Amino acid sequence: MNAQKNRFYKRLFEIIPGFLTWSTLISLILLAIFKPVLASIFVIAFDLYWVIRISYLTSLLLFAHRRLERAKGVDWLKKCDFAGDHDGLGYRNIYHAVLFPAYKEGLDILTASISALEHSNYPKDKIIVVLSVEARAGAQAQDNALMLKEKYKDKFFKFIATSHPDGIPGESRVKGANATWGAKVLKGFLDSEKIEYEHVVISCFDADTCVEREYFSCLAYHYLINPKRTHSSYQPIPVYNNNIWHARSIARILELGSSFMQMIETMRLEKFVTFSSHSMSFKTLVDVDYWPVDMISDDSVIYWRCFLYFNGDYSVIPMYVTVSMDVATGVTILETIAKQYRQKRRWAWGVENFPYLMLGFMENNNIPLTKKIRRAFHILESHYTWAVWAIIITFIAPLPIIFGGGLFARTAIGYNLPSVSAALFRVSLFTIFICIFVTMKLIPPRPDDVKPQKKLIMIAQWFISPLVAALLGSAPAVDAQTRLMLGKYMHFHITEKSRKKSN
Amino acid sequence: MIKGDKIFRMAGFYFSVLLFLIMLPILLSYSLGYKIDYKAFKIYKTGIIYINSQPSGASVLVNGKLYKDPTPAQIEELKPGTYKIEVKREGFYPWEGELIVEPNMATRADKIVLFPVTREMKILGKLDIADFAISDNNYLYYFTRSGLFKSATDGSGIKKISSYSSWPDKMNERKFSPDGDKILYFNNNTISVVYLNPENNVAKEKYEARVEEVLKSPDTIIGAFWYYDSGYIIAVTDKDVKVIELRGGMIRNIASLYRFSARPGSLYYDEKSDSLYFTDIKVESGLESKRHLYRLDLRRTFFDSLREFLLNKETGVERSKK
Repeated sequence: MNAQKNRFYKRLFEIIPGFLTWSTLISLILLAIFKPVLASIFVIAFDLYWVIRISYLTSLLLFAHRRLERAKGVDWLKKCDFAGDHDGLGYRNIYHAVLFPAYKEGLDILTASISALEHSNYPKDKIIVVLSVEARAGAQAQDNALMLKEKYKDKFFKFIATSHPDGIPGESRVKGANATWGAKVLKGFLDSEKIEYEHVVISCFDADTCVEREYFSCLAYHYLINPKRTHSSYQPIPVYNNNIWHARSIARILELGSSFMQMIETMRLEKFVTFSSHSMSFKTLVDVDYWPVDMISDDSVIYWRCFLYFNGDYSVIPMYVTVSMDVATGVTILETIAKQYRQKRRWAWGVENFPYLMLGFMENNNIPLTKKIRRAFHILESHYTWAVWAIIITFIAPLPIIFGGGLFARTAIGYNLPSVSAALFRVSLFTIFICIFVTMKLIPPRPDDVKPQKKLIMIAQWFISPLVAALLGSAPAVDAQTRLMLGKYMHFHITEKSRKKSN
Repeated sequence: MIKGDKIFRMAGFYFSVLLFLIMLPILLSYSLGYKIDYKAFKIYKTGIIYINSQPSGASVLVNGKLYKDPTPAQIEELKPGTYKIEVKREGFYPWEGELIVEPNMATRADKIVLFPVTREMKILGKLDIADFAISDNNYLYYFTRSGLFKSATDGSGIKKISSYSSWPDKMNERKFSPDGDKILYFNNNTISVVYLNPENNVAKEKYEARVEEVLKSPDTIIGAFWYYDSGYIIAVTDKDVKVIELRGGMIRNIASLYRFSARPGSLYYDEKSDSLYFTDIKVESGLESKRHLYRLDLRRTFFDSLREFLLNKETGVERSKK
């Protein structure tokens, strides 16, 4: 495909998600004004679809939760031992490389993350830590990296602290560029030590990611027994437990919501895509030429890169162990909303994967057409639904009644619409109780400096979830899609993490 | 994936799809007012009647048949036509009416008031009442042969506010002034004013109210209106239109603004435009017939200048009152 054609199709695929979203929202508003009966029919059908959908998804959440609970009692290291050798690979010769692409995260945040590695039950002489700090983050960040290296260099097989230079040609200021730099430094070390790439599993973590004790054992086990180990990524359940008791309700709901979505996704493997902190074979990473250095959504686009490289023969293996991160929260509600909005918009910018994937599909003739259609539909549908559902349910559903006027109010559907919508909403309330149940199981014990009554807030917060979903769920997604549609590309904005110290 | 979970997931997914496909036509037909006859494979258009009453909880009879729910009740799946609806509750007069049900439409009868069968009658003040008036600020005034009394509207807190008792046998009208401080009343030849606010009394008397006759006219008085911030009264007799000034102590300014060429019929004084609307009646061969509608703009009379003059003199007082 020549460059001009490529540019044309890129723009076309960038426009499609935003166009679909805006067409839907504007059409529904116009329909509510000019054809309130038709709009009401749509609203009722959508409400029903949504109630059934969230009931189905909530049942998947319960199953995923059950699997997470079951996995808690498993001694993964023992299982690794019992698993023996597979294709000449045993857990004793599997190395874990943990890559932290960092910017200006404080020493407290990085220390907690590295300390969690130290406390894992996997042999430390098989763990390599790579701390890749942005050079533009300043001298303090570099000093911190060196301090951490000094502190932990004897605790692991190797602790590499490196500085990612700013302004390398072809790179944007994105996390993927820093991660790629760190991975290349790691490659140099592995080459010098003559360690085979297939024997190394690389985990690319956000700077605030704290693994649980069994993480690397669980990862090694899944890597070991998987005959297509290099054709898979390994996805833990991301939870936001580091500061959840100190975060604001709005932020908690959103982060718990994303944990729940990830748990649900583990039950839908055909749609499963890597998200946030995850792991993969280092060999695969080198084969696909690392992370893209000019895209924001490095966590998901690496999956699609592998998917295209292996002609569709690439999957994500769910692991029922958790990695814990920080809730993006602020001192005030407004600050929290702003932080959450920016973070969710960055996540929603994952819609850039759609044009990336479509262009990849156009150039790849080895992936079956049905698979291409299915995956393209999944990615488009997920971003489209993300952007429109909460806006339709919260803001568009009442419009036929507002704009319908007296004649519409006299029709049977005008009369029935509020009661039918309310009845469907009541049915969906049970999902909130399930969310409360899973929340209470998922969160860590209450710290001593948090008052007992905060447990009640943990429960009550779920009742504001529909409004929060509309404001901070759909709106950032519409924003991101609109920017992509208009060609106003986003730049990577690091969500500032701050943690209140427990007494 | 664990096999059992996969089976559950697939079963859940297809069940959800099936549930949606089954529920959607049911929900939409219900919402749109259609009824599906599964036995006859037919779809009917129906309508809804929504009934509510004050008080609620009343029984509803549709064409003589008791409906399962009391008010507020939503009667659904009614075939188009006219229905006789009765709303009954013990201790209240029943309501009945005919409501038309149109296809795919909702008929509302949600403002039905049921009146109690027995109402307690209460005697308010066992006084010899000539007449009474109720003010905007919820006071009841009793014009009695033993004086003027005042109470709350339910009759409580009754007290005498004036010993004046020479009320006319028939008061044609009673009007509270816009400032709420005075009541004017008139009969065929006199206009009187009751000053209710003691602060406005010239002389402090035993009782807080004072009654004063402001006009005795040889001509028949047919209307009287408050004018200009309750300081004046427009009096309309069968001969002319007069303005009576209530200020000035013993001296009272009374001016005739307009003389009618024929006896006026209907009267209306519009406060917003300070205009008097009236029809005059010309007597022809002993028969009365209305002729024209007139508008008298009181702002343009000489009295307007007088008012301005007085205002200029008393600006401080007027403004501080406002």
